[in-house]
Amino acid sequence: MFNYTFQWKQAFARLPQMLDGAAVTMQIAILSMVLGILLAITLTMFRLSGSRILSAIARTWVEVARNTPALFQIYMMHFGLGSFGLHLSPFLSILLGITFNNAGYLAENFRGALKAIPETQTRAARSLGFGAAGAFGYVVLPQMLRIAFLPMTNQMVWAILMTSLGVTVGMNADLYGVVQDLNALTFRTFELFALAAVIFYLITKIITIGARLIAARLFRY
Amino acid sequence: MFDTALTTADFIFLAKGAGMTIVVTAISVLIGTVLGVIFGVLRYQLGPIWAAPLIFVLDICRSIPLLIQLVLTNAFLGTILRLNLSGFTVACIVLSMYTAAYCAEIVRGGIEAVPATTRRAARSLGMTWGQDMREIVLPLATRIALPSWIGLALGVMKDSALVYVVQVTELLKSTQILITRLQEPMLLLLICGAFYFVISFPLARFGGYLEKRWSND
Amino acid sequence: MNHKFVVGLLAAAAFAAPAQADKLDDIIASGTLRCAVVLDFPPMGMRDENNNPIGFDVDYCNDLAAALGVKAEIVETPFPERIPALMSGRVDVGVASTSDTLERAKTVGMTIPYFAFEMAVTANDKSGVKSFEDMKGKTVGATAGTFEAIALEKQVQEWGEGTFRPYQTQADVFLALSQGQLDATVSTSTVAQSNVKTGNFPGISVVGKAPFDIDYVALFTDRHEYGLLNYLNLFVNQQVRTGRYAELYEKWVGGDLPDLTVSGVYR
Repeated sequence: MFNYTFQWKQAFARLPQMLDGAAVTMQIAILSMVLGILLAITLTMFRLSGSRILSAIARTWVEVARNTPALFQIYMMHFGLGSFGLHLSPFLSILLGITFNNAGYLAENFRGALKAIPETQTRAARSLGFGAAGAFGYVVLPQMLRIAFLPMTNQMVWAILMTSLGVTVGMNADLYGVVQDLNALTFRTFELFALAAVIFYLITKIITIGARLIAARLFRY
Repeated sequence: MFDTALTTADFIFLAKGAGMTIVVTAISVLIGTVLGVIFGVLRYQLGPIWAAPLIFVLDICRSIPLLIQLVLTNAFLGTILRLNLSGFTVACIVLSMYTAAYCAEIVRGGIEAVPATTRRAARSLGMTWGQDMREIVLPLATRIALPSWIGLALGVMKDSALVYVVQVTELLKSTQILITRLQEPMLLLLICGAFYFVISFPLARFGGYLEKRWSND
Repeated sequence: MNHKFVVGLLAAAAFAAPAQADKLDDIIASGTLRCAVVLDFPPMGMRDENNNPIGFDVDYCNDLAAALGVKAEIVETPFPERIPALMSGRVDVGVASTSDTLERAKTVGMTIPYFAFEMAVTANDKSGVKSFEDMKGKTVGATAGTFEAIALEKQVQEWGEGTFRPYQTQADVFLALSQGQLDATVSTSTVAQSNVKTGNFPGISVVGKAPFDIDYVALFTDRHEYGLLNYLNLFVNQQVRTGRYAELYEKWVGGDLPDLTVSGVYR
């Protein structure tokens, strides 16, 4: 039954390369989160704007992002746009693909969070002399981000996991890409992927624990 | 744009891929939900310390990319244990565990949302633990959990696009095969995306509707 | 010698006996030979208009199955999944244009070469790439996990400029090339010509040879299965001897038949 000899040394010898890959994975995930949050706030404001065109754009974005596979969205970003002559590098394709997905999910979370903030607060802010933008930016937005903090952490974890889809658009610098290349070189599938799994697990743990610490600090009151 | 080389045979081929997506999803969601309910109840009853091994395993399923879970499980069951499983079976095993991991959290959240006072009242009326779970917790927790569960099921359907790595030809893989032959990436990708959307969108809307309706009372 | 010991010996003998059956026996007993074939690698592996597998490798697998007296089953595997498919017992033999590198032979067992590729450069007409040297500083790509991808990535690193992108499938490489996302690619010359000939990818042409070593490809199976490896080696030899190799080459590729031997050394 156990007709298999592990060669862990081969996998561990490649650990430095894999850690470099993990750094790229982190970079993609963090950038895609930052961009995703900014876009999601924009989409949320589109929905609140009262303009039918803007809110239709926001709704379409959210529904497409939430109702099609992430792999499909990333593939589209590269080969779909590519057939219109718009060429994104693998890095940009995966980054924008995940950003598109993040923005859609986060915008929906933000919408839910907004419902929890009483309308009266905006009115109070306005009567204190805030403009519409000021009331949103200083009063509503901070509370919205606080309520949506847990879903944002989850989305961050998903962003990390989604970077593994970059290989479909020619990405090989991220952790999954590095491991796949090494696998092609050595064919040591189990050892290499097991090590990658451990690294992914540690990254996501660091993020969730880090987020909890940040939350404890930011939301003390 | 609609001048296309797509033949009826190609549509049948795509439909087969779509069928595979649905079958894999249905099996995994079914098994995953049963397991998820068991894990969720265990997790709640045992508390965080005794359930630690369970929590750890489920946490792993949520913290590692599904692609890696598939490749690893495939390599482990096939290469090391030398079980002769089809790619379809491996896909269902991995997706079921993946579903169970998320479902367990949803179930636990649902149970915890039932007010403790309600449950104490039930027990003081002479109900057993089983009766309490069935008659009180189940209906109330379902209301909380069902909308999230619909979201989870749809998520699994979308994530099933990754089972191509264990040689299961589902919808997205069929689409890629046709792109290889026909070289009409845009049209084929749009058909594929539309299929996911058509299934996912109404169900997601229904979930949102339930959530809204049930949260009002 | 006590009673228990004899029973134990008998039991051990009973359990040991089936272990004698090796993979070759298993295949013959099961009546099916499962081959890993890459199906987006024309003319070695591709699909006809009914999406059934065809190509050199498909025919080669069918011949092998016929020789064994069993039914052939083609299992489609993208390049990066070839070995995992074998290691996980999903296929018995790889007939998948697999380069016989020493690194890989640490993990799987390779037969003698059954085919040999020369590497060609295919470029997008707008890129201005006219030869292998022109690729310096450009965006180039190849299919992840192949011989040419490994060699090209190394070359790009040596040049110190330009970018290398591996795609999951040969089709994605040519798609990216024809969309202009890649300036040029290195692939086996048979694949390059076959893809350019289909007319599916406008605006690309084969511009020259790549100065990589000849890429000898081998059938592969489990490293421990000497019985099967031995059989496969003889089968490859017989394919050449009987003229079937030349026949298949003429059918799918055409032109000068590649020599499968290396002069100056055995095997």
